Amino acid sequence: MTVFVLLACLGGVLVGLSRQLNGRLSISTTPLIASFWNHAVGFAVLTCLGLVVGGLLPAEAAEAPWYVFLGGPIGVIFVAAGSWAIARIGAVNAALLIIGGQMVTGVAFDYLSAVPTSFWANATGIVLIVGGMMVSRRRRKAGGSH
Amino acid sequence: MTIEAARNSHPIYFIGAFATGGLLTFMVHLNGELARYGNPLFSSWTAHGTGMVAAVILLFALYRRRTTMAGKTARAPLWAYLGGVSGAATVILTSTAVNSPLGLSGTLALGLAGQVAFSLAADSWGLFGLPKRRPDMRDIAALGLVVTGGALIILFGRGAA
Repeated sequence: MTVFVLLACLGGVLVGLSRQLNGRLSISTTPLIASFWNHAVGFAVLTCLGLVVGGLLPAEAAEAPWYVFLGGPIGVIFVAAGSWAIARIGAVNAALLIIGGQMVTGVAFDYLSAVPTSFWANATGIVLIVGGMMVSRRRRKAGGSH
Repeated sequence: MTIEAARNSHPIYFIGAFATGGLLTFMVHLNGELARYGNPLFSSWTAHGTGMVAAVILLFALYRRRTTMAGKTARAPLWAYLGGVSGAATVILTSTAVNSPLGLSGTLALGLAGQVAFSLAADSWGLFGLPKRRPDMRDIAALGLVVTGGALIILFGRGAA
């Protein structure tokens, strides 16, 4: 169990590392070029992995509706926007806002798709997230009191 | 004092980053649906491949004189091209963790913790060539609120009625 906990935490670390590296690359190029390299290098790595372990072309994949293939193109915009943001507001603020945006839209998405949800947990969560974003913004308006 | 250059307060950066999080929700949903028709490796491989093609199309569509952020920034070091390796490895780790007793919510919550720990370290020490900006008490408080709210939604809110 401990090993799974470590794997899950490391997964989050790698998300941050990826954003940091792409952000660095975007400073020397552009966010979209950084996003291109992110996808090209990732594609190459996953192709090698797939050729070793197999399962790259599962037969059922042909039955998938067309729109589920839009995750990749959306990912290009996501990575480019993340690289753009992290170079301007830093890793902590980028993480904070991206997590906030993901959670708030995730809750909205669940309600729209009628997934059973716990209203009070979600409402409290959103209040905390919006509060956190306001705290983060206020310091900047005050011009950095610390 | 730490470098204050990155303490840019323009709201567009904040709105942009927040909207980026919204994109992530849709991306995770679509890639998850794709994985249902195949497997997580296939889903990530396809997303990286179609993303690469989409990036090329966008680069051609938007082609104009390169506008880099700092004009005369030196060429990127080779390791800066390895963000995709980190991203690909994420897929493997998280799809392993999701299929453990942690489940999806445990994996998401722990991933949140890992991401926050890394971003604090990255800003504190200016890791991997981005500006150093020592997080102050407000940053920590804001992060604490967002992470607590996120954990609440992940662990008790979504699909947990």
